[in-house]
Order: sequence, then C-alpha cells, then structure tokens
Amino acid sequence: MDTLTIWRERLISKTTKPTLHTTYRYWIWLSFLILIVGNGAYQYSKQWRYGLVVTDMRDRISWGLYITAFVFFIGISHAGTLISAILRASKASWRAPVTRIAEFITAVALLVGASFVLIDMGRPERIFNVYLFGRWQSPIMWDVMAITTYLTASIIYLYAPMIPDLALFRDRLSDKVGRFRRYIYETLAIDWIGTPKQLRLLGKAISIMMLIIIPIAVSVHTVVSWIFSMTLRSGWNSSIFGVLFVAGAIFSGVATLILVMAVLRRIYHWEEYLTQKHFLYLGYLLAAFGAFMVYVNINEYLTEGFKLEEAGEFAFRQLFIEDFAFMFWFYIIGGLLGPVVLMLVPKTRTITGVVIAAVLVDVAMFLERYFIVVTGLRVPLMPYEPASYMPTFVEWSIFVAGLAFFLLLITVAIKIFPMFAVWEMTEEHELAISRMSTTDQDTAESVTQGHTIGHDAPRQPDRSQGGAP
Amino acid sequence: MTVATRGTARTLAAICVLVAVAVMIEPALAAGIEISVGAPGTVTVGQDVEIKAVLVQDGQPVEGAEVAVTYQAALGGESARVELASATTDETGTAVMFYQQRADDNGEMQVVYVGPEAEPVAPYTFTIEVSPSGEQLYTNQSGVSIPFVNGGLVILVISGVWFFIALAAIYIVRVGRAGRDETTEPVTASTEAGSMWISVILATAAIVTATGMVIVFVRAPVANTHLTDPHSYTRTPIAYMGTTYPYIGFGLDDGIGTESGDAATDGGVLYFEYACASCHGLSGQGAVIGPALMDEIGSFGSFNEDVREGPKGMPAYDEVTISDANLQKIYSYLTESG
Ligand code: HEC
Repeated sequence: MDTLTIWRERLISKTTKPTLHTTYRYWIWLSFLILIVGNGAYQYSKQWRYGLVVTDMRDRISWGLYITAFVFFIGISHAGTLISAILRASKASWRAPVTRIAEFITAVALLVGASFVLIDMGRPERIFNVYLFGRWQSPIMWDVMAITTYLTASIIYLYAPMIPDLALFRDRLSDKVGRFRRYIYETLAIDWIGTPKQLRLLGKAISIMMLIIIPIAVSVHTVVSWIFSMTLRSGWNSSIFGVLFVAGAIFSGVATLILVMAVLRRIYHWEEYLTQKHFLYLGYLLAAFGAFMVYVNINEYLTEGFKLEEAGEFAFRQLFIEDFAFMFWFYIIGGLLGPVVLMLVPKTRTITGVVIAAVLVDVAMFLERYFIVVTGLRVPLMPYEPASYMPTFVEWSIFVAGLAFFLLLITVAIKIFPMFAVWEMTEEHELAISRMSTTDQDTAESVTQGHTIGHDAPRQPDRSQGGAP
Repeated sequence: MTVATRGTARTLAAICVLVAVAVMIEPALAAGIEISVGAPGTVTVGQDVEIKAVLVQDGQPVEGAEVAVTYQAALGGESARVELASATTDETGTAVMFYQQRADDNGEMQVVYVGPEAEPVAPYTFTIEVSPSGEQLYTNQSGVSIPFVNGGLVILVISGVWFFIALAAIYIVRVGRAGRDETTEPVTASTEAGSMWISVILATAAIVTATGMVIVFVRAPVANTHLTDPHSYTRTPIAYMGTTYPYIGFGLDDGIGTESGDAATDGGVLYFEYACASCHGLSGQGAVIGPALMDEIGSFGSFNEDVREGPKGMPAYDEVTISDANLQKIYSYLTESG
C-alpha cells in the first residue's frame, strides 16, 4: 500500500469510529439530553393547555425568550452554510475537515430555530394561515419564505457532498451495523460508485448549491432583522440591522462550530484532522467578525445617539446604564472585543484560547438577541410606565430543551452519518502531497492513476465485501 | 366743508335705507320653501351620481340656499344620517350635487335644506337602488411606486432561487441514475428496488415547495394590489361624517337603563350615554377637553342653551338628538351631584 492509501484507511477508520463504537458515556449523555427535552415537552404541554399566559409575555412585551431563541438558532445556522460555502467557493484548502460538521450544525439549528416560531404561537395550528392567507407585504411572510428556502437548500447542500461518504459507509459498514443504518446508507447513497460521470454531475449539484446558498443565507438573516426594523419601534429603527444580524449570525455560527469541533475532537481523538490550524483560522475569523461587529455597533448607536430623540433616549438609557447595561457591556467587551484580544495576544492564540473566545461569543450573541428583542418592545409608545418582562420557568425550560434538542440531533447524527468529508479530505491530501513533491515519481503516479473518489477502487471486490446477498 | 359733510351724511343715510330694505326682504324666504329632486333610480357602486335639487318658494326659484344630500349610513350596528354632498342654488333655484356611490345600500336618502334660514324646511325623501360592483374604490395613494419593483419581481427572484435548487436536486437524481446505468447487477438487495427514490423525493419536494410558495404569493389576499385580481377583497364601508349633522355620542343614546324614575340617577346614565363624560370628565368635574360642569352650571335655561348651541369646541345637540326631558335629567344629575 502506498502512503496515500494508508493515510486514507486511517482517516476512514477514524471517521467510522463514532459509528462503530459506542461507550456507556454516550448513553448517559443521550439520556441526559432526552431528559431535558422531555421536561421541555412537558412544560410545553402546559402552555398548550393554558395558553401563553404561562409565559411572562404580555401585550406590551409580546416577544421574549422564544423569539430570542429563534433568532439565536437561525444565527447559528449560518455557521455551516456560509463557512462551508464561502470556503468551498474560495477554494480554501483547510476547509475540508470542517465543512461537514458545519453543514450539520446548519440543518439542525434551522430545524430547532424554526420550531421556536411555532412555540411562540399561542395557537400553533394557525401557522397554516400563513399559507392560506399569507400576504407578501408582510415581513412575516418573507421570513417564512426565506427560512423554507434556506432549510431546503441547506439540507440539499448537506446531503450532496455526503453522497460519496455515504457510499463509503455502505461499502465498509454494511455488515458491521444494524439493519436500520444499513438501510439508510443504501438508500441515501443512491447507487454512488464514483464513476467520472457521477463525479461530474455531483460536482455540478454541489457548485450550484454552493453559489445559491450564500445569497439565500444572507437573505435569511436580513429578513429576520427586517421583522424588527420594519416595525415602528424606536430601538429597532435602524437601516444597519440587516448587516448587524448577518454578521452576528456568522459570528455566532463560527463560535458554535468551534465548540462542536472542540468537543468531537476531544471525544473521538480527531486531533490529526482538526488541527490547531483549523481552530486558529476559525479563531481569526471570529476576531475579524468581532471587530466588524464593533464597527457596525458604533455605526448603529452613534448615528442614533448623536441626534437622540425622546424615545431613543429611553432606549439608550436602558441599554447603556440601566436595566440591560450588564448584558450590553458584556456583549461589547466580552463578546466582541474579547475574541479580538484573545487572538491578538500570542499567549492565548491556542486552541483553548479559541474555545474560550467561542464561548464568550455564543453567550454574548444570545444576550444581544435577548436585549434587542426585549428592549425594543419595552420602550413605551405613550407616556406610561415601561413594562417589565422576566421569562418564566416554562419559558426557560423550553429554551433549554431547544438547546438540548440541538445537541441531541447532533449526538444522534454522529452515530449515523460520516462527520468528515472523507473524499474531499483525500482529494486535498493528495493535492498537498503532489504540491509538496512534484518531483517524486511515486506520488505523481499515484495522483495520475487517481483514486475513484469516495469509493474504494477497484469497486467490484468492495461490493462483495460490502455485505452483498 | 359743511356741504361736503352734509352730502356724505345723506349718502350714508341712503345706503342705510337700501341695506335695511335688502335685509327686510330676505327673511321672508324661509317659509314655504319646497324642494324637488331629480335623481337616478339605480346606480352602481363606484359610479358618480348627480343629484339635482330645485328650490321653489311661492312659485319663485330660491337663489343662494344651501342644500345637502344625505343617506342613512349603518356602521357597526349603528345608523346615522351622513352627508354625501352639498351645494348652493343658482338663480334658477337649482343646486347640482355630485357624489361617488360608496355604500352598497343608501337606505332612505334625503335632500335637506341647510341654510341660510333657521326655520325648518321639510326635507325631500327619496330612494336610489344600488347595485353592487366588484370594483375596489379605495386604493392606497401613499408611497412611491417604481416600475417593475413589485410583487412580480419578488416572485421572479423566488422562482429563480428555487429553479437553481431544483436544478441541483435534479443533478442528484442523475447521479443516482448514472450509478444504476453502470451497474449491471444490483448493488445490494435493497437497492434493487431502486434506492433512487430518495433523490427523486428530494427533487419532487424542492419543486413542489417552490411551486407552493409561488402559489401562496400569487393568491395572497391583498387589500391594495393583487397580482391576479386587483379587486378581490371585500370592502369595509367607509362613512364620511358631515359636520352639519348633530353629534350622537358613541351610539349609546338608546336610553337603556334610564327607567329608574329618579331623574338624577337616569341623568347620570344619560350623561354617559350621550358621551358628555368623554369630554367633561367621569362625573362632570371637567377633563382635558370640556370644562367642569358641576359647580358653575347655572340655570337650566342657560344650560339648555349651551348644549343646543355647542359653545366653541363642543358639538351642538339639537332636540332630535337629546330631548328636553333627557337634558333635564342630565341637568338634575349634574346639579345634585355637584
Ligand atoms: C367633544 C367634547 C364634548 C362633549 C361630548 C360634550 N361637551 Fe360640553 N363642552 C365641551 C367644551 C370644549 C366646552 C367648553 C366650551 C367653552 O370653552 O366655552 C363645553 C361646554 C359645555 C357647557 C358650558 C359650560 C360652561 O361653563 O360654559 C355645558 C353646559 C356643556 N358643555 C354640557 C354638555 C353636555 C350636557 C354634554 C352631553 C350631552 C356635553 N357637554 C358634551 C366639549 C364637549
């Protein structure tokens, strides 16, 4: 076996490890998550029975933790797609090990985020009215459109590059896993055998999705921001909200990606593939976006604050020095400047530093979403006392259940789907080797001979090995 | 000097006499004025209607009289007379009034005499049959309309995006097909049935969702603009309340709960029912709009006069709106509680 084959075999065994080996700790973690989700479901049943009165949302502050969670999760979902699509489009070679995880985060976070809209509705069955009586002048309608489009697109974008790896799993694991998973691999791999024609067609599908998903993702979070900025509310009256939301979405998305990567790397010993380089690059991305967010925030608050109007003054006071000051300054100092500082100081330019930055960013972005939603509604429209809002136990339970559900879906997906794009990583590795030693005859040959990508060549023997009848 | 003064005085006296004669001729007009009306028998909603009124007094045309055409408007369970148009008669005693038919039922219509005489003139009552039309009368005039920047563009963009998504899905279907073409024998037992269904489902889902979204857009019920049917929404009646017609409070003046027998108690109820409270405060203590009534209310005579007249910002309540008896009750409520 040449070195490339050895390298690839190692990668495959590492990738299939979560699928094949399950420790008791996995089950403990899984039950823990199910417990939390179960509590959320139980609390939701109360809301279902008694209505939204079990929350603290009332007529004046009518959006709270649920909408915060909605915006937060939709934000996280930008991790995947934007990271993986932009990196793919810009042919950043280091992206290969990162993309799959990022794409999974996207699909899963979107599912969770979209369900928070339903949870926020006192009469969830009325969601159908959007389809029956939807008016396209309404930003809510744009949101439904954008998120439906994004969800479909990101599932396809997750699925298409996974086909060769699913085929690999089909060939390698069929006799090692149960019937359920075998069935999944066989159906989802749609007869992938890695012929040049298939490769070409798949390449087309991926390129189309890669290019189309970038504007879709940008539009999604812009439209989410429009739900706020197209409402007559002092705190939301901003033309830069779209930029703020999209940048914030990528920001929190990258942070979440870093966290998930760090955990998986630790558990499944993927140090070899998720190297310090990947974390640092993503860390730099965090720092860059942190700096950009600072810039956007200055734009937002300076233009408003310079010509401060009466309602704006109230909004500013509650944000800068009163009720929400802690959240706000934590967000600015910890969440936006924190990552910049952590990446600037050589000592903290480590994986741990990046992970700390990511935690800061995720917390800060959650707080940002919270105070944007709540402070915007809190500004009185008439001279009356400002309303107050504090999420109830039901709301917290459901929110935490949302987080747990997000993790649960990823936890389950790990056991079924290939978390690395084996074929893309092999491709990249091959390229790297050939770039390093173009004079080396052996490697050059192995490159020109090529490997049928995503499928073990020659394929017939593999078939028989792959649990054929 | 003296001559000039005398001459001026004489001229002034002459003018005065002329004016006096003119003034004395005028008041005779009001009595016995008769209104006759020419109006179409049926109109369609949205149509411009012409109402011609001729005023005659003792066989002579009445010039310079103001008349108005009104109809019985019903809104939210309440009904009131609403002015549609008004005009002043010319030297032939004719006033031509135009209005656009908005309601789908006019009820009893009237041409009423508004002025200049205070003496009541019997209104001319008539009916016009209204046939409905699907036409939308009210379109939003606000905003800037830019050619091509509209719902059609949005649909174009959405369709474009979904076209590419569907295209990608179709490529995935073809990936599966390419695999099956190359394989002579089935890959595994279950792929024999054709594991391609997953990609077919994907493509179908993408296409169906895309079409569905466009359909939602196209058939969205929209008030002001609509892609397929610009007039498809049910109109809400819009009533224009004329200024010359008495204020009737908030439609609560039906006298419910005023049979207690005690004038002051009933008066308290009426005070609310005629919405006096909305301006004069909950117990007549005065509020943002109207002054306090309890203390400086004075005699019933002056009270009555004030209410009938409607001083300054206050609407005038005539005898038809509030009967003297009811006003008396309100008066006793205010005096006894004050
Ligand atoms: C739309 C508001 C409004 C409503 C309704 C209203 N009023 Fe008035 N009323 C006023 C205002 C304004 C004045 C004061 C006008 C002025 O400055 O002289 C006034 C003055 C009066 C006065 C004269 C008080 C004074 O001291 O000169 C009386 C009496 C009165 N209202 C009685 C009534 C009664 C009885 C009703 C109910 C049938 C009524 N008003 C309903 C606004 C209202």
